[in-house]
Amino acid sequence: MYEIEALNVKKSFGDLEVLKGVSLNVAKGEVVAVLGPSGSGKSTFLRSLIDLEVVDGGSIKIAGEYLCKDGVYPKNKEKTRILSKAGMVFQHFNLFPHMSIKKNLMCAPMLNKQAGKAELEELAVEMLKKVGLEEKLNVMPSTLSGGQKQRVAIARALMRNPDIILFDEPTSALDPELTGEVLNVISKLADEGITMIVVTHEMGFAKEVADRVIFMYEGVVLEEGTPDVIFNNPANERTRTFIQSVLK
Amino acid sequence: MSFFTNIIDWLIQVVPQMLIGCRLTVKLFLVTIVLSIPLGLILTFLYTGKNWIVKKVVGFYILIMRGTPLLLQIFFIFFGLPFVPVIGPYLVIEDRFTAGAIAFVLNYAAYFAEIFRGGILSVDKGQYEAAKVLGISEMQTKFKIVIPQMFRISLPAVANETIILLKDTALITTLGLSDLLKVTNDIVNRTTEVGAYALAAAFYLVLSYFLSILFKKLEKKFAF
Repeated sequence: MYEIEALNVKKSFGDLEVLKGVSLNVAKGEVVAVLGPSGSGKSTFLRSLIDLEVVDGGSIKIAGEYLCKDGVYPKNKEKTRILSKAGMVFQHFNLFPHMSIKKNLMCAPMLNKQAGKAELEELAVEMLKKVGLEEKLNVMPSTLSGGQKQRVAIARALMRNPDIILFDEPTSALDPELTGEVLNVISKLADEGITMIVVTHEMGFAKEVADRVIFMYEGVVLEEGTPDVIFNNPANERTRTFIQSVLK
Repeated sequence: MSFFTNIIDWLIQVVPQMLIGCRLTVKLFLVTIVLSIPLGLILTFLYTGKNWIVKKVVGFYILIMRGTPLLLQIFFIFFGLPFVPVIGPYLVIEDRFTAGAIAFVLNYAAYFAEIFRGGILSVDKGQYEAAKVLGISEMQTKFKIVIPQMFRISLPAVANETIILLKDTALITTLGLSDLLKVTNDIVNRTTEVGAYALAAAFYLVLSYFLSILFKKLEKKFAF
C-alpha cells in the first residue's frame, strides 16, 4: 500500500491550468524530491496533498483513505481526521510570532487534546532536541535566525508524530550558509522512516537524500527516476536543460 | 511678589473647578473606550464573516458613522430622536450624558471596527495555512492565532484613535454638560482671564501624554 496516492490531479486558477493531471504514488518511508522550474505546479501539487488547495479533478489518497475522490471531498471533520498523520513545512516557516517556541510547539496538540500538558511539554523538549534547539524553548520566534526558525517549524510538525511530512521549498528563504542545518535535520527524519515529499532547488540534497526524483514541467510530471538517472542521464531534453541550468 | 501670589490665588480658585470638569471628560472617555472597543470588535467579526447580508448592513453602518460629523450624531441622538415619526416618543433619552455617550460609542465603534479589520487583513495567510495543517480548527485559529496578532498590529492605530477620542470628548460641551472645556469656557466668560484656556490645554496635554505612554508600554509588552 502506498502512503500517498495521487491520480490525475487537476487544478486551475481561473484560465490558468496549473496541474494538468498529475499522478504520483509514494511508498511508506520513501523520500521523493520534486524539481521543476517556477510555475511548473510543484508547490500547488504539494499543497493539494494536504488540502491547502482544492483540486478540480482527480483523486488523492492519504494512508489508504480518500482525501479527494474524483474531485469530491468529504466533510471537513473527515478531512482533518484523514490528514491527522500528515504535516507540512513551509518556505516562510509560518511560526506563530506571538507565541514562544514552546507555545508554538504545544498550541495545536493542546487545542486538539492530543495529550496532557505535562506530557506535551516533555514532547516539546524532546522534539526541540531532535532539531538541536532545546535551549530555545522559551524564546520568541523573532529572536531566531531563519535556519533556526525552520528547524522549530519542523519540530512543530513533528509534535503530532506524523507519518508524512511535506516540505515546500524549506530552504529557499534562507541564507546559503543556513541551509545546511535545515537539510541535515530533514535527512535525519528521512532515516527515521517518515514519508516525505520535498519540493526543493537543492540539487545536492535531492541527490543524496531522495529515493526518487520527480521533474515537473508546465503542470505535468515530465520525468521521474532515481537521482542518478535524473541527474546524470535524463531521458527528456527539458529535464536535461533544467538540471544543467541549476547545476551551473 | 504680588504677581506670583496673584497667580497662585487664581490657580487655587480655578483648578478645583477644572478638575471637576476633568472628571466628566475622563468619565465620557472611559465609557466610550470600554464600550466601543468590544463593539468595534464585534462589528469586525460580522464584517469579515461569511454572511453577506450582515456584511452589507455593517458596511452601511460604518459608512454612516464615519461619513457624518460626530457632532451631528450627538445632536441627532439627543435632540432628534424624539421627533422620529411613529417610534420617536419611545426613543427619548432624558439624560444628556447617556445620549452623548451613546453617540460617542456608536461613532467610535465604527472607527475601531475599521482599525481591527485592517489588523486582521495584515495577518499573513501563512498563519492560517500553518494552523490548518496542524489540525487547528477555523474557530480556534481565529481566537488563538489571528486575534492576538490583530491586536498587536492594531495597537498604534488604536492609540492614535484613543488620543483623538480624548480631545473629541470636548464636543459633549454642546449638550450643556460641564466637561473640562465647558468649565474652562465659563471661567473665561466670568473672569475674562484667558489663562484658563492655557490651563485647560495643559490638562488635555497631560492626559494624552499619559495615554501615549500607556500605549507605548502596551506595544512593548506585546511586541513579537
